[in-house]
Amino acid sequence: MPTVTVSGHQYSLDSEHVEAALRGKLPEPIHEHFVVINGRRWPPKQVLALVTGLDRADFTTHQARRVLTRLGFSAGRAASSGRRPAVTHIAATTPPPSVASEAIGRPASLAEALRPFIGLWVAVRGDDVLVAAPSPKEVVAWLAQHRQRAQSMFRVVDSERAITGAAPQ
Amino acid sequence: MRFEFRALPAAGGGVQTPRPVVDIALEGLEAAPIACLLDTGALRTRMSAEIASLAGIELSGDLTEEFYVGGLETTGTLARVNLTVTDGTDEFSWDAPVWFCEPWPHPFGLAGLEGFLHHFLVTIHAYDGYLEVEPEPRLKEEQQSR
Repeated sequence: MPTVTVSGHQYSLDSEHVEAALRGKLPEPIHEHFVVINGRRWPPKQVLALVTGLDRADFTTHQARRVLTRLGFSAGRAASSGRRPAVTHIAATTPPPSVASEAIGRPASLAEALRPFIGLWVAVRGDDVLVAAPSPKEVVAWLAQHRQRAQSMFRVVDSERAITGAAPQ
Repeated sequence: MRFEFRALPAAGGGVQTPRPVVDIALEGLEAAPIACLLDTGALRTRMSAEIASLAGIELSGDLTEEFYVGGLETTGTLARVNLTVTDGTDEFSWDAPVWFCEPWPHPFGLAGLEGFLHHFLVTIHAYDGYLEVEPEPRLKEEQQSR
């Protein structure tokens, strides 16, 4: 098992250890950097704090990111805040809309972003999944806790039947 | 207001057929608008009763109805609530009757005639995969004059 040093403390960690530490937890909002664990994006500092029990002030985002990538997790940087307005601009000014939708990668891009969360309730904003949880109550609690506002909340199902079952009355 | 049709992932890869969906926020739950399937054949607007409790809407049970949806028997309880529809740029609020249902196994709410369609001019561009929603002019004037 690899040994890592964080803030002067040594820890023996592997990917399974990290995944276990995240069970039952929800990712906090992604501001810039993230690591991908079990198909979800997590703030690196949140993960390392949960795994080590250290205070987040004891290490930097870059240290956390480096430790987690060494354990085999992929890392990335969230799109800039200018991304969504750019998309809106394309959709609003480039007819026909179907071409615009294809050009900007929707709606397939949201569907792909939702794939890891089949069966869960999600809150989304644009093509980003803010949070996913087993119940709407947990989703709403997360939004309130982190002062986030979603565009839409729903449950992700992977069957046409689950949607068409809501037939007219 | 413009809403792109929404696609969900399909089992085994790919995506399901994109559907017309509008996001409707309940008063008390503005941070999490509920995705509602636009259903021109539905008389009512329906959502899960679980959502009502999250918004702090008390369901008195004065007016209920039992019905079948998707082959499942469920009970709807009527509540008059303030709703807001927004596409992220524009928004419009109105008071409407909503039937909160228990059980409600569906991933979305249903936006039907009463509660939603009666208040809007809706243009569905199905071929191009989006819909446009504009408030009924009289209601729009009322809201602007407030």
